[in-house]
Amino acid sequence: MTTTSAPEAAPRSDLWRRWIQRHGWTVGIWLLLVVLVVWYTTLIPRFGSFQAATILTGGTAWIFLGIAQAVVVIAGGLDLGVGGMLVLSSVTAARFMEGQPFGVVVLIAIAIILAAAVLNGIVGWIITVSKIPDIVVTLGSLYIYQGIALMVLPKVGGGTTGTFRWLFTGSENGIGANPWPALVVITIPVIVVGWWMARTRTGLSLYAVGSDAEAAFLSGVRDARTKIIAFAVAGALAALAGFSSVSISGVGNPTTDGGVLTLNAVAAIVLGGVALTGGIGSVLAVVPAALILFFFNPILSALGVDPNRAQVIQGILIVLVMMVAGILEWRRIRRS
Amino acid sequence: MRWGPAGPHPITPYTTHIIDQKDLVPDPRPSILATTGIAKNYGPVVALRSVDLVVEPGEIHALLGANGAGKSTFVKVLSGVIGRDAGTASIDGRPIDFRLPSDASEAGIATVYQDPALIPDLSLDQNLVISGLRRADVEPWLERLELGGFDFGLLARDVPLATLRLIDLARALALDPRLLMLDEITAALTPEQADLVFDVTREWKAMNRSVLFISHRLGEVLSICDTATILRNGRDVANFSLEGVDETELVAAMLGDVLAEAAPAAESDATLVSAVTDDSAVVLEARDLHFRDKINGMSLALRRGEVLGLTALEGQGQDELFSLLSGDHRPTTGEILVNGEPLGARSPYNAIRRGLVFVPADRQEALLPQRSVRENLSLPLYNRFARWFGLRRDEGTRVGDAIARLDIDTRAASQVRRLSGGNRQKVTIGRWLIEDFDVLLCFDPTRGIDIQTKAQIYDLLREVAANGAAVLIYSSELREIPLVCDRVLVMYDGAVVHEQAAATATEEVLLTAAHGLGMVGS
Repeated sequence: MTTTSAPEAAPRSDLWRRWIQRHGWTVGIWLLLVVLVVWYTTLIPRFGSFQAATILTGGTAWIFLGIAQAVVVIAGGLDLGVGGMLVLSSVTAARFMEGQPFGVVVLIAIAIILAAAVLNGIVGWIITVSKIPDIVVTLGSLYIYQGIALMVLPKVGGGTTGTFRWLFTGSENGIGANPWPALVVITIPVIVVGWWMARTRTGLSLYAVGSDAEAAFLSGVRDARTKIIAFAVAGALAALAGFSSVSISGVGNPTTDGGVLTLNAVAAIVLGGVALTGGIGSVLAVVPAALILFFFNPILSALGVDPNRAQVIQGILIVLVMMVAGILEWRRIRRS
Repeated sequence: MRWGPAGPHPITPYTTHIIDQKDLVPDPRPSILATTGIAKNYGPVVALRSVDLVVEPGEIHALLGANGAGKSTFVKVLSGVIGRDAGTASIDGRPIDFRLPSDASEAGIATVYQDPALIPDLSLDQNLVISGLRRADVEPWLERLELGGFDFGLLARDVPLATLRLIDLARALALDPRLLMLDEITAALTPEQADLVFDVTREWKAMNRSVLFISHRLGEVLSICDTATILRNGRDVANFSLEGVDETELVAAMLGDVLAEAAPAAESDATLVSAVTDDSAVVLEARDLHFRDKINGMSLALRRGEVLGLTALEGQGQDELFSLLSGDHRPTTGEILVNGEPLGARSPYNAIRRGLVFVPADRQEALLPQRSVRENLSLPLYNRFARWFGLRRDEGTRVGDAIARLDIDTRAASQVRRLSGGNRQKVTIGRWLIEDFDVLLCFDPTRGIDIQTKAQIYDLLREVAANGAAVLIYSSELREIPLVCDRVLVMYDGAVVHEQAAATATEEVLLTAAHGLGMVGS
């Protein structure tokens, strides 16, 4: 007996259409970034490697923080603490890296990343054990990280080595015309995390838990462990964001407002098509989204917009982009 | 650890060192599964009181019982999804204490749960990855289930329910379990697909493995199962071989004392008094509906006092028809008339205001699982501007009446999600008894519900019609059509292909029409 209910493997053209459908957001947001960059080059007298380096370097922390948030949100959670972790990581780096040889600096960096992963993993563990909503526990962790940062480094100060600054900014002074190191520093973690989330059992489990925790549990996914891993990875990525921050300024600043940084990360993932309800999204779309958000400021200043009004315009733009995206999505659902 | 193929004497950890023949003789072949006194409470609600169950190697064992008897809870305890409060369990004589589903699969139990355990936002391939399987592991079983070459790049949310159930089964089989537990697997399947499942379970049995089979369809239980254990109120009340047992006896064993009053069976259609006459007003009419490529020229007319049945094989446009009638979507072309005026609904809210109310198949979809029975019942009352400032005063009595009439088990009244499936369905229907309406649209309202609750739902639908409303009921269970309907339509490929009085509609006639084969001589 034959059956007609099982569709055979789809032909090539259908696969292509499916790829576009499934990754349409990612493609669209990259295109939007390209359009903005091209537009920006016409707004300013000269667009060269210095401008490219400035945007990439400045966007690095936004990207890392966005990916950190995306990992947690895709797993069905929310981490308000990532901004606090950025501050904590940057002041810790500034306090201990100052005056050390590069080898020691690298060891310190690794130690900070591991400590951040453990610390944020504990936050995830508290959430899964206590069943207190993420938003409550991580509001607490945001304040705690920010508070510890003040203990580590009570006022602006410290520093790091030139080589470390070069790694994140392309210049030993934190500002220069070499965009390549920043590009590499962004690309490697993005590819690793992107591959991990799309291809490995643990990475896919993040989607499973965020999409349907019950079905995930029945499929043999250990939901508590998955969530803890998501928080640990987010902590490590936030620590990387902190390194970028300290490399740009050259000092640690414990009074940086981590809450604002967290909200920027939330805006980046929303623009990057990550569903706040969990289970949907890709870190590959969060990268251009974070860059676009960072990019708003230079564009508005190139247009000569009063900085006091820039924030209002920025807010309106985010909502507008999301509305356009929402309309496109709605049309797609109606068509299918 | 994985278990290899079982010989007639499966090797257990106790017999790994065979010292001499004498040691083996007094140790008879252990049962695949043996449980004693399994108990589980959900807060104040007792789901399982004490269940003893023994499944022998090479046995297909039916687990039967009314809704709320504890079947699904028992399966979840054994598969490590929920912890047990008391009792012991062993596999091949080896005591087990499952804390996680992965513990159960490692010990040799694989389960196909009542709801698909596939992640909607992941592709089927990715779904295999998260359960630690490769495509090659499930492919042979998919071939057996006639899903060979299936496109695994599809997202699970885009795959029909029946196919998901079969993939769930293939995934369970790929774990190579000693005991396979199937909880209502056939509920969403077409008869052909169900036959494939039966073939596979028989094959499993021939390999000396065992199956624990849960189904409300007694016909299929009798045709494939060897023995049965009956649960009632969380206790195992009977355990017998199915050799020479017929459906009536099985029903009698399941119902126990309440048999006399509840047996609905075929004789009740004699008492079915039709409330519809030729000059009853047409309350709902659909004219030549088209919708995407799913509905192709569908027409129907429903009169006051009528219960109209609709049946079809899976995917013939019935889901879309109900979403059009309930106001969730609008037809591409064609008209829907309510009391002679176009429906023009933009959302279910508009349809409800026009007197069309919908009871979906997925009870979760219609209920607020964390709210009380009372709140869920009075939900339609919240929906009027005048009531923003307080509900009308008789809310309490109306809701109380509905609970009493529906015989809803209110032990778990504080949260609807703690109710059993049958009681949940009663709540979804019951909420509409509180408001006035013209047409009740029911989509497979008795799926996965026990006989006794089914009978109550039939009575309820007849009563609704007798009071002057009209009922459109889609049912995948052909046998229930004559029990509750006045007239029946059969849908095939998005249009009506057959119509007749329900009293004379035999399963054979309906099934033939549902396959689009047409009736000889009509």
